Amino acid sequence: MSHRIVYVHLPRFPVQRRVLEEPGLAAQPLALVHETKGALRVAFASGTAQRDGVRAGMTLTAARALLPALRDAPYDAAAEMQALSSVAEGFLRFTPAFMLSAPDGVWLDASAGSLFGGEAGLVEKVDAQARAAGYRARVVLASELFTARALARNGAATRACVAPGGSERALAALPLQALEEAPEVVASLRALGLSTLGELSVLQPTQVISRLGAEGLRAQGLVRGQDPARLLPAVLPEVVEEVRTLDAPAESLEPLLFALKATLDRLSARLRGRQRAAVRLTLTLVLEPAGPHPVPLALARPTTDPKLLLNLIRHRLESVRLDAPVATLILTVDESCEDHGQQGVLGDAPAGDAALETVLARLATALGPEALGSPVLADDHRPEAAHAPGPFRPPRREPGMFAEARRSPPAALPVPDWQLERPVRLLSGEGEPMEVELDALGALRSARVLGKRRRVLAVAGPERIGGQWWTESPFQRDYYRVHLEGLGPAWVYRRAGEGEFYLHGLFD
Amino acid sequence: MEPTAARADPAVLERLRERIRTLQAAPRQLLSVLRTGLPPVDCLLPGGGFPLGQVVELWGEPASGRTRLAFRAIAEAHRALRLAAWVDGPRTLYTPALPSLGVRLEQLLVVRPPESRQLAWSALQLLRSGAFAAVGLDLTRTDVRLSPPESRRLVEAASRSGGLLLLLTPSEAPADGTLRLHVSAAGPRAMRLEVVRSRQGSASRTIEVPWELLTPGGPSDAAAGSHGLDAPPVPMPPSTPFRRVRACTLRDGLVGIQGQRPGRDLPLPSFAPSLGVGS
Repeated sequence: MSHRIVYVHLPRFPVQRRVLEEPGLAAQPLALVHETKGALRVAFASGTAQRDGVRAGMTLTAARALLPALRDAPYDAAAEMQALSSVAEGFLRFTPAFMLSAPDGVWLDASAGSLFGGEAGLVEKVDAQARAAGYRARVVLASELFTARALARNGAATRACVAPGGSERALAALPLQALEEAPEVVASLRALGLSTLGELSVLQPTQVISRLGAEGLRAQGLVRGQDPARLLPAVLPEVVEEVRTLDAPAESLEPLLFALKATLDRLSARLRGRQRAAVRLTLTLVLEPAGPHPVPLALARPTTDPKLLLNLIRHRLESVRLDAPVATLILTVDESCEDHGQQGVLGDAPAGDAALETVLARLATALGPEALGSPVLADDHRPEAAHAPGPFRPPRREPGMFAEARRSPPAALPVPDWQLERPVRLLSGEGEPMEVELDALGALRSARVLGKRRRVLAVAGPERIGGQWWTESPFQRDYYRVHLEGLGPAWVYRRAGEGEFYLHGLFD
Repeated sequence: MEPTAARADPAVLERLRERIRTLQAAPRQLLSVLRTGLPPVDCLLPGGGFPLGQVVELWGEPASGRTRLAFRAIAEAHRALRLAAWVDGPRTLYTPALPSLGVRLEQLLVVRPPESRQLAWSALQLLRSGAFAAVGLDLTRTDVRLSPPESRRLVEAASRSGGLLLLLTPSEAPADGTLRLHVSAAGPRAMRLEVVRSRQGSASRTIEVPWELLTPGGPSDAAAGSHGLDAPPVPMPPSTPFRRVRACTLRDGLVGIQGQRPGRDLPLPSFAPSLGVGS
């Protein structure tokens, strides 16, 4: 079975990325420049700049002479490679592996095409994913790395599928410049009067090897659909991290949030590609010159939603005071979990779910994750140890417009008898010692509760609660419900063998 | 065609999206009040229960039955598969008692802010989210006094989200609830409920609710007197501390049937008759 490959070409990727991060640059003449041979030279130019004659390799001075309004920005090849890798990780939803083709493309393993409506469906979905991330893309599926890339970069169609065995015919119409791997061969072929790959393909191999050597023969193999290269899967970094260096240090919240938005979009796309959801993140603000300032973010519910994360960060940063401007921001996912996603149907209220997750995450961030939760009953005889906070994971509602009408009222849960006699308020620990007054018969007459001496109106009990006799700290308590004047019933106990009373709870 | 026209106009799309968001965030009309399930209480309340979209203040002593009343309303929300939250200011909520009131613990979020100044803020966030049908804010035994702007924000948040805020305030510091109920104990048999403030009538009406009604199937202390113990009172010297021991202990052979200890509480029996000596 032949390997099938998708190539995603993101034309002028560094420029596209720059415009995505700064939408104000859209439709502006822009050149990304780097220092080569002692001069600042254009590495990439925007479409507007290219129309006015600006080309890659041109010095910035020459480009400015052609186009005085040209805006320039530094080009960092390593950062662009990292950004391209981040974009590629987003495609992992559709592919088991990818290989980068710097500076503006990525090969994807198309072996999972059948899961996405066949090869055409896969191409469509990859294209849609790129567009959703804000990139213009050209997507081609073929059997060889060269065929897919050459057609994506030089072909007429923005989306194409080349059937197995059809590479030679598909490549025939492409110009010779599609043979980017062999520029010397291209120059020689041009000198011979050839202009398309099809013309190279029909030549006799003996003629090719005699005139162009082994390099020419290899080039002919490529255009005949005989590319021996195989996709080498890129190794994913263990830690999902996004770094963004700001053009100018940010002194207020707005530019910081603006930069964060694009960074979170990339981070979320990577997480979704890996089918993971963030549980804990750290936003490190690198201050100039103070150094890194980490801001931890704990999420009550795992999420990949960039809007939600941006809201949380905004809320968190409002309470953070910084002593210096922010030069760089680093977003690191400290903990993630598997993201199963949720199938939405007509009538669902995604806004409601988002609202719940937002408020939970906001509270967890502001109060600390231990401040909120859902109570869980613990298997302990001591009343004060019989419950503990647990994670708040409410049951998901049945999706759909008519779910409410379909549902049946939940059956009442069985309640053990002992729970019927428990107060709704329990004082911390083992309760508070209570000053009591007994009458001549040893009966309770009054007690000082909540700062007042109160007459005892009625006493019911006792209920003996004991346990832990198998440990070194056994306990045995006799509990009474004591009705006090001006109050309600109180839960009072006396330890076995002791005369002192303790107020442990209130039946509020 | 109309869909094409709508696609062409982003303003129309945005208006439609906004409308959908509003509809989704709007409270369900099926549930307009949360009933307590206690007929006397529901009859007393203007709408037949605690009205959603309002701040209901339960004002009184910490053992007057307010919390159980609030949780009975929350249980009604849980029966309708809605969520509820409880902001526990005094950190005294004892959750094992809640299932007996009909509360489903997995649908209850308990928030315990580390600082008391975060109590009202937490309740405000929960209310504004619209994700909770009922939010309880317990200010009992805390030093928090809601300022007028805070109260206004809470009322607005409840009104906009359609959620119910159950505000538990101590007797010495009432707040500014839309509906204020004064809850107090009326002796060992019942609790008293008075409508202090209401925009929909019923103000100044008072009822008494037997304690045993608050917890369905719970114990009744109506018959308990000042000595309502499981054993009759035992005559003891004034210096003897409170003594109430179980019957099994009384008859364990070490003490007498009434708890008397030979040689201490009662004089030892004389052996003289059995020994044949003079008395």
